[in-house]
Amino acid sequence: MRLLVVEDEDLLRARLVKALEDNSYVVDSASNGKTALFQAVEYSYDAAIIDLGLPELDGISLIKAIRAKGLVFPILILTARDKWTDKVAGLDAGADDYVVKPFQIEEIRARLNALLRRSAGFAKPALDFAHISLDTTAKKLTVSGVEVELTAFEYKVLEYLMLHPGKVVSKTELTEHLYEQDHDRDSNVLEVFIRRLRQKLDPDEQLKPIDTIRGQGYRFNVPASKR
Amino acid sequence: MRRRLVLAFGLLLILFLGLAGYVLDRAYTRSVDAAAEERLQLQVYALMGVAEPEGGKFFLPDLEEARFMQINSGLYGFIFDRNGHELWRSPSALTLKLDAAPLLGSKMRPGQTNYGNASAGEQGGLSWASYRTYWEALGQYFYFVVMESTEPRAAEINEFRSTLYLWFGALTVLLSIAQYVFLRWALRPLQQLAQDVSAIESGAQDQLQQHYPSELVPVTENLNLLIKSERERQDHFRSMLGDLAHSLKTPLAVLSTALQEARHQQQFTPEHQRDMAEQLQRMDQIVSYQLKRAVKGNKAVLARPVPVAPVLDKIIGALQKVYHDKATRVLLELAEGVQFYGDESDLMELCGNVLDNAFKYGKSLVQVKAGQNGKALLLEFNDDGNGIAESDRHYVLQRGARADTVKSGQGIGLAVVTEIVSAYGGELQIDCSEWGGASIRIRLG
Repeated sequence: MRLLVVEDEDLLRARLVKALEDNSYVVDSASNGKTALFQAVEYSYDAAIIDLGLPELDGISLIKAIRAKGLVFPILILTARDKWTDKVAGLDAGADDYVVKPFQIEEIRARLNALLRRSAGFAKPALDFAHISLDTTAKKLTVSGVEVELTAFEYKVLEYLMLHPGKVVSKTELTEHLYEQDHDRDSNVLEVFIRRLRQKLDPDEQLKPIDTIRGQGYRFNVPASKR
Repeated sequence: MRRRLVLAFGLLLILFLGLAGYVLDRAYTRSVDAAAEERLQLQVYALMGVAEPEGGKFFLPDLEEARFMQINSGLYGFIFDRNGHELWRSPSALTLKLDAAPLLGSKMRPGQTNYGNASAGEQGGLSWASYRTYWEALGQYFYFVVMESTEPRAAEINEFRSTLYLWFGALTVLLSIAQYVFLRWALRPLQQLAQDVSAIESGAQDQLQQHYPSELVPVTENLNLLIKSERERQDHFRSMLGDLAHSLKTPLAVLSTALQEARHQQQFTPEHQRDMAEQLQRMDQIVSYQLKRAVKGNKAVLARPVPVAPVLDKIIGALQKVYHDKATRVLLELAEGVQFYGDESDLMELCGNVLDNAFKYGKSLVQVKAGQNGKALLLEFNDDGNGIAESDRHYVLQRGARADTVKSGQGIGLAVVTEIVSAYGGELQIDCSEWGGASIRIRLG
């Protein structure tokens, strides 16, 4: 999951980026609205965290501009102002949720998770597909009720595919959303991870949850049990 | 203001008197001119009446007007033939040098009189009347001309003007004095108001005095209300600031002792970390609560009415986004054109806090009712959650409860709502809704 964090306070931005990276997110950051708008248009993000008080282009205008460009990824507002007037203004401009400063990083994580799930059309924290269940809060995978260990990167790949079920996700899209920008992107590595995931999800090779669409990418292909 | 009024009235006075003077002067001059023309006409008739033609000349033996006989008397008579040859002139005009041409209009009809002015050297300005007539006995046209010095007329007009200016000057002075006195008298309440305001500023009095003219009473009453609410606001902020400072002292003290202890033990134990995190959270809670308490609470003083429906729509729209997963159903029952007489952000804060709780604690249903009773706004919020325990209700209804005594969760939001309701002199009641959840009824104003 690739996130955009927009916060002008350097220390807070650095902590936020670090904490989110520790939670397996790929994070880009910006310290002002103009740069953030450029990045939002230029790169593909799964969600953004935007502070309302920003230099050059304030948070509300930034959100409006992002929405005006037709970008629909969920936006979480950070605000120091705990007034309803400000919250309503932010949500009205096109944000999806807010967190009031000071905040606990767990709260940001939980809200972000909920937003990502919601934008993929899931109402509950767990993504349930037949006997496969991925708990996005605890970051745990259970297959037929048995917990299966995943590495951080395996989790990232699986979560992304499960959040876009039935949709062909290209290798480029996967690498863009799962790797840092300057990371050495070797698509062979991705194939290795997909193979390992297949083994963990479907040891008997009966369900075949991840299809390979030749020349296009991968597709998570299990009907959802609950939406 | 007085200077402006004096200036405006002064200009008006000058304009009015100047115009009146000009009109009177013109009217008088015109009437004098008309009288003079009439006189000349009569003199012409008098000449014609006594004129006797004889041998191509005229004789006027029985002239009654003595001034025709007296040399340079100021009244002169002439008779010309159609070609402009002088046939007769009165003895008074013996020495008068005259250019006859302008007097004898060739296009004049018989019986027509022409009037005009001429200059005649030493004799000064003259006004004349020339009458063309056909004398049947002689079968010829003649001009009868009478001239009169304009000097007496000018003197008469000058005298009139002097009198006019004298009276108008006196009138201007009199009206100016009257205007100044009237304005002073009429503006005295405003002067009193200014004195009252500066007395309030200097702390000599609390309110504006009550004996103002009825036109000013709405202004002074509103000013008094404004002063009162401003003072209340100041007190409110002062006490809030004190409250904030005091409530922060306790967690600060705990933090300080935890730090001292850690330093003393030369290690930072998990207990220290827990203590410090707890105190930081408490401080955060105190600061958010006090910030939220900083409501305007302008009551209805000079307040424009705010339509309630758009505010509720915005809040509900925002909350439906935030609590998207719950898919809460909202039942809105708003009376037609319901309005709030106060500050929009206060209304938003109030509805935001109550509805946030309703969305958060309600299961799937929130009901909002709004009605109006005069200027008072009546609101009711119901949900289908677990409701507020009766034992907790009194916490919520305590106005100005210290932040460190307010329970977290539902408590803080409702404590802020209580502040707003109280700032607007309203009421808040907590009950159980028909679905078993919380029911909050609020009257504002």
